Amino acid sequence: MFSTYLDGKRKDMKELVAELKKSFNYVSILGTDVSSTNYRADKRLTSAQDGSGECGFVIKMHDGKSFFEYSLDDVSGDKKALAEHIVSSVKTTPSLDKRMISVAALKDEPLKKDFVRETDFASYSDEYLLGLCKDLSAKICEKDEKVLNGMAMISTMLVSKLFITENRELSQHYGWAYGYLINVYNDGKLVQARDISGKDNLAALIVKLNAGVDKVVDLARHLVKAKPIVPGVYDVITDPSITGLIAHEAFGHGVEMDQFVKDRAMAKHCVGEYVASPIANMHDGAAATESVASYFFDDDGVLAHDTQIIKDGILVAGLSDLASATQLTTEPTGNGRRESFKRKAYSRMTNTFFTVGKDKLEDMIASVKHGYMLFETNNGMEDPKNWQIQCTAEYGIEIVDGKLTENYVSPVVMSGSVPELLKSISMVSDNFEVIGAGMCGKGYKEWVRVSDGGPNLKVRVKLG
Amino acid sequence: MKNVIELLKKAEGINGWRVTESATKSYELFFVHEALETVRSTDTVDTEVTVYVEHDGFLGDSGFNVYRSMTDEDIAKKIATAAKRAGLVYNQPYVLPEKAEFKAELKSDMNDIGNFADYAQKIADAVFNAKAPAGGSINALEVFVYKKTLHVINSNGLDKEQVGYSAFVEAIPTFTTEKLSVEIYESMRFTDLNAEKIAKEIAEKLADTKARYEAKKPTTPMTVNVLLRPHEIGQLMSDIAYDLNYTSVYMRANLRKVGEDIQEGGNGDKIDLTMCAVVEGSDASRYFDADGTKLTDTKLIEGGVVKANYGGHRFGQYLGVKEPSGNLPCKVLGKGTLTEKELEKEPYLECVALSGLQVDLYNDYIGGEIRTAYYCDGKKKTPVTGVTMSAKLSDVLKTMRLYDDCDVNGSYKGPTRMLMKNVTVL
Repeated sequence: MFSTYLDGKRKDMKELVAELKKSFNYVSILGTDVSSTNYRADKRLTSAQDGSGECGFVIKMHDGKSFFEYSLDDVSGDKKALAEHIVSSVKTTPSLDKRMISVAALKDEPLKKDFVRETDFASYSDEYLLGLCKDLSAKICEKDEKVLNGMAMISTMLVSKLFITENRELSQHYGWAYGYLINVYNDGKLVQARDISGKDNLAALIVKLNAGVDKVVDLARHLVKAKPIVPGVYDVITDPSITGLIAHEAFGHGVEMDQFVKDRAMAKHCVGEYVASPIANMHDGAAATESVASYFFDDDGVLAHDTQIIKDGILVAGLSDLASATQLTTEPTGNGRRESFKRKAYSRMTNTFFTVGKDKLEDMIASVKHGYMLFETNNGMEDPKNWQIQCTAEYGIEIVDGKLTENYVSPVVMSGSVPELLKSISMVSDNFEVIGAGMCGKGYKEWVRVSDGGPNLKVRVKLG
Repeated sequence: MKNVIELLKKAEGINGWRVTESATKSYELFFVHEALETVRSTDTVDTEVTVYVEHDGFLGDSGFNVYRSMTDEDIAKKIATAAKRAGLVYNQPYVLPEKAEFKAELKSDMNDIGNFADYAQKIADAVFNAKAPAGGSINALEVFVYKKTLHVINSNGLDKEQVGYSAFVEAIPTFTTEKLSVEIYESMRFTDLNAEKIAKEIAEKLADTKARYEAKKPTTPMTVNVLLRPHEIGQLMSDIAYDLNYTSVYMRANLRKVGEDIQEGGNGDKIDLTMCAVVEGSDASRYFDADGTKLTDTKLIEGGVVKANYGGHRFGQYLGVKEPSGNLPCKVLGKGTLTEKELEKEPYLECVALSGLQVDLYNDYIGGEIRTAYYCDGKKKTPVTGVTMSAKLSDVLKTMRLYDDCDVNGSYKGPTRMLMKNVTVL
C-alpha cells in the first residue's frame, strides 16, 4: 500500500512548489518513504530489525539557467518561510554565480498517475522469516563438520515515492526481496561460499534460498581446493551473473549520458558504430524487465523506459537523467536515480542485460579447447572514457577439451579493452537470467540497487 | 530526539535502549568542465533507535529508524514492534556502555566559518588554479562541504555528542588532443583547507594524465617490483585490519590470530599497524563510536606479529575483552626504511591509477588492472597502460618495503609508498 505519510503530504508539497515558483521557472519535489526489514541468523547470532530506509524530500529547481537542489526531512509548516530558507541555502557567491551554466528551461508536461505493484510481504510474519533464517543456517552447518558458520539473511524493501510539479503528480509503490546464504568453511584453507538471490515476492525467494543450501556447501568444498589462475588470455564462457557484470561495466556506465555532458565517455563519439560482435544485443531500463530496479518513474519524474543500447553490435542509444538530457537536447530515458533523497540525481543504470542468442550452453562449453567458465560477480570497475574494464568473478572452472573439469580457480580478475572484449563474443546462449541483488556506485559513491544478467557468452579475454 | 527518549522511558517490556542521531548539513557544487551545473544544499537528520529485551537468559535487540515526520503515535508503534522482534532474538547477553557525558568538536579550520558557499568556492578555485600542461583540464568537479553532528544517548545515562566538519572533492583531470582524450580519477577528503596542497596534488594528477595519454602497453609480460600509492596502501591495511575485528573473530570468519606472524620468514619492512580514534586531518576521526563507546587506540600488528583485535563493545564482550577498543575508524601504519635512492637501484613499476586494488585474504591474492603506471629503470620513467598485476599476498607481505615518510589519505595515515617485490605483470 502506498505510504499514508506521503499521501498526507500532497497538499504541503503543492503549496511549496507554488511558493518556490515565485523564484524559479521549474520546481519539482520528490517525496520518498522507503522501509526495509532484515532477518538474519547464523550459528551464534540472530537479528530481526529495520534495515536502511529513508523518508524525506528533495526539491529540484531551475532558474532558466542552472539547477539547484535542496534536501530536507519535512515540508510542513509555513511555506513562505520555508521557501525563503531554501532560496537562501542554495545561494552562491558572486564568483560562483558568474560560472553557472545556461541551459534551456525544463519541460513540465502534465500527467497524473498512481502506480502500484503489490508484494506478498504481509503474508509472512517476523517469527516465520526469522525462523526460516535459523533453519537455513542450521541446515548449512549440519551438512558438513568442516562448516564453521552458516549464515542466512532475508531482507524486504518497500518503496513509496511521490513526485509533484506544477503540472505533474505521480505516485508509485513497489517492493523487492533479497537474501543470501554464506558458508564459512575450513578444510585446511578458510573460504566463504555465497549464494545471493533477489525476487519481487518472498514465496519465490524462499524457494531459491532453500535450493541454495546444497549449493553453498558443495561450492565451499571446491573452493578450498581452488588455485590461483595462471595469468593469460583464454576462451571464456560466462554465467549470467558475469554476462551481466560485463554489460554493466562495459556499456552500462559507458553510456550514462551525464558523462557525455562532461566529455567523460568515449561512447558519445561512437553512436552508430560497431562496438561489439554482430550477435550482441544489450538493453537497460526500469521497464525492460522485472527486477530490483523496475520502478514506474525515475527520481526526476520521467516514466520508465526500455532502452536498447546495442543492436546487432552497433551502439544505438545511451541512458540519461533530466539534467543531462536537457544539456544534450535529447529526451530523458528515465534513468535519473538518487542514492536517497539526500543525494543528487545522476544518469544511472537500472536493469542491464544482454538479450538471448541461439546457442546451447553445452555446445558453447564443447567448443572450448582450453579455457574457463566464470561464475558469480564479486566486483567490477568501469572506465567509460578510455574503455578499459575490470571484472572480478568469485571463481572459475577449467574447461579442457570441451568439458568442465573439477579444477576450480579463485579469484579470477578479467580485464582488458571493452571493444576487444565485446567484439570477441562468438556465441550467445538461448537461456536468460537477470540477477536482482546488486548494488552499483558511480565512481566510488552514490550507491543504488541494480540488476544485470543475460545469457551465457563465449568471449576471449585476459584473466589474472 | 527528546520525544523519542520520553517514549522509550515510558515503554513497557524493554530493558534498555540506545538512540543515535546523525545530523548532516551540506553545501555542494557540481561543475561540468569549469561551469557550475548544480548547487545543492541539505539539512537532514537520521535517528536510529535500538531496544533491548532480556528474556530466557538471553538478550534480544531490535533497531528501527525514526524520522522527523513521525508522530508520537508512530514512534510508540515502532517501539512496540521492535520490543516484540527483540523477544524473538536469542543472543548472548552483554551490557551497554556505562553512564558518561561528553561533548566536543573535532579539530577543523571550518569550525568557525559561517558561510559554506565561500569555503566551497575556495576549494573549487584551488582545483581550477592547479598548473596544467597544454591539453590538460578538469572535465568534472564535485565539491562537498559537511557539518556532521553525532549524538548518542542510552538508557544507562550515556550522553555523548561530537561535531565534525569536513570536505570531499572529486575531480577528473583530463588530457586531450585532436586524436585522443584520457582521464584519471582523483578524490580528496580533508578537515582543513590547504589550497596550495590541493593545487599541487591536482597538478601532479594532470601530469599523470598526460603520461596516461603517452603510455603504451608493454610488449612482453614481466616480473617486476610494483610501487603502490597511499590510497591502495590504505585499502590493503583496511582488509588486513577487518580480518582482526572482534566481529570477524566471533563469527569465526577471521584468518589471522593473535600471536601469528603475518610476515613470517620475511626480510622486508615489518608492519606496525595501529587503529586510532583521531588522526589530525582525517575526516574519519571520531571520539566515540555509534554505541557511544570511548575509543582506545589499539596496536593491531607490531613487527609483523598480530598483537590484538579491535571492535565494538558487544563483540568485544562476547570475546571476553575487558575493555573493548570501540570501532576505531583510522589506520596508522608505521614508516619503513625505503628511501628513493634505494628504490632506484632496481627497476620498478609505480602504479598511478588502478581500476581497483583486488585483495583476497582467503585466496592469498593481490592484484588488479593498472590503468596508468610509470616503468622506472633507474634512468628514465616510461608511462605504461593496459596491464594487469597479480601476486601471492603472503609473498608480498614478506618482502614489502615502506617509504620513510608519511601522510594522511582519508582514514589512512602512513608511508606514502609501498613496494611489492616480484609481481607478475601481464
